[in-house]
Amino acid sequence: MLLRQVRLETRLFLRRKDDLFWTLAFPLFFIVLFGMIYQDMLWEDLGLRAIEYILPGIIVMALMTSGIMATASGFAEEREKGIYRRLALTPLKRHTLLGGQLIQRYIVILVQTILLLIVGSLAFSIRIEGNLFWAWMVVTLGALCFLSIGFLLTGLIKTARAANGISMVVFFMLMFLGGIFFPTQMMPDFLRSFSNALPSTNLNDVLRAVMITDLGVGNVWRELLVVGGWFAGSLALAVRLFRWE
Amino acid sequence: MSAVVEVRNLTKRYGNLVAVDGISFSVAEGEVFGVLGPNGAGKTTTVEIIEGLRKPDSGEVSVCGIDALREPERIKELIGVQLQATSLYDQIRVKEAVDLFGGYYRKTTPTATLLEEVSLEDKRDSYVSQLSGGQKQRLALALALVNDPAALFLDEPTTGLDPQARRSVWGTIAGLRQKGKTIILTTHYMEEAQELCRRVAIMDKGRIIALDTPGALITGAGLDSRIEIDRPPEALRSLLKQALLPVTITEDGERMLLHTKKVSQALKEITRIADEHDIDLESISVQKATLEDVFLAMTGRQLRE
Repeated sequence: MLLRQVRLETRLFLRRKDDLFWTLAFPLFFIVLFGMIYQDMLWEDLGLRAIEYILPGIIVMALMTSGIMATASGFAEEREKGIYRRLALTPLKRHTLLGGQLIQRYIVILVQTILLLIVGSLAFSIRIEGNLFWAWMVVTLGALCFLSIGFLLTGLIKTARAANGISMVVFFMLMFLGGIFFPTQMMPDFLRSFSNALPSTNLNDVLRAVMITDLGVGNVWRELLVVGGWFAGSLALAVRLFRWE
Repeated sequence: MSAVVEVRNLTKRYGNLVAVDGISFSVAEGEVFGVLGPNGAGKTTTVEIIEGLRKPDSGEVSVCGIDALREPERIKELIGVQLQATSLYDQIRVKEAVDLFGGYYRKTTPTATLLEEVSLEDKRDSYVSQLSGGQKQRLALALALVNDPAALFLDEPTTGLDPQARRSVWGTIAGLRQKGKTIILTTHYMEEAQELCRRVAIMDKGRIIALDTPGALITGAGLDSRIEIDRPPEALRSLLKQALLPVTITEDGERMLLHTKKVSQALKEITRIADEHDIDLESISVQKATLEDVFLAMTGRQLRE
């Protein structure tokens, strides 16, 4: 049953052009764009090439397109159309339906990450000195965190239209204030302290530390804790506010 | 005949509003049972309680002898439902949709058979988003039939369809009736109830105000039939008004309407008068009272408001 749902969700995903654009084309476009702009530029105080700074950020951005945008607008739309109501009349269990969606999103997130890593290392010769196992674990935590935020939004917002718009605002805010395209050190102080509390900023720092550099998880435990906190908080609220109709 | 669906003293309140007010009925095997009433009468709430989508405040529901309120999961395998609004993923094809739903049940009917039954064979590879309103409704019907259900629930199956699409959905339902399917159908179209249903429960304000065959409901209401003469010559018009006929006459523009319970006697008299004065009766017709008239007589309101 679960496998059937995963296959269904995958088929639906591959046929939704907006999902394909936001989750696959959009992040790839940015990595190529910044790769060409920055080329061999170095960011001295970070001791990294600019593109090496950007890559983990783009991966975080990709996680947010799947976890927040596609999830919130997709779920709200299917709910509004009454699809879940119709399925409730069949013997299909609701946790199977939800499980299928979550697994499919996670698969897309892994595909996005791997694609970005491949493009980054082949086209722009980004060196990956960190630990890929830990990178995978961090991506998984990020996926859980953003999926929780995505589902929290569907609990808070009733209509598909609003879910679409609001999830996009949340996405862009987390992206631009999340130190994805430029280091938070470049921001004015008041923005920076706000930015430092966001899940995107912290996930970005953790992912860079464990994947690009060999800093290891031990040196970014504070940031990891912030992401974990966002995950736990959003999940608790999402479960409480969750609605099928 | 055994009862497939049995409802006893069902009540559902929303705040102060009593949506369903202690209703009881049973549907026999192979019967097409209609629930007719205006919008807001409680039809949809009633069927959605039987289907397990809503919980009643009190009452009992059984389907094939199984307590539907205690064991909703077992009921799901036994029933097929077409909801009022069609609701499916836009990005799947007709055939895929039927296969998908088939996968949810233990017992299934082959996809090809179902598509033939609802005349959608030539649309099997079309996306759901490409279907017309009537085709979507027929697909919803196919999905409701996917588990060869013991009871089929159709909630306003033709609301919002154009007359031609409505006829085609009626044709499909009539085909199912012929095969002996047990069907519970809600509608606010009296023609639909009259055309398809063996028995009809007329609902108003959460109660069943009458329950019988369409014919018996009309006869029982003691309503007049209507003889209609379109544009009678002036001479005939005044002759009929003067004659002592067992009718009540009203005029509706050019039309003359003669209401009566004694149709054949009135017709005989009318033709005799016309013959005596050498007037040709060009356009005369007789109409029996309809369920619409029954509803009007019982509630003082129209079915469609």
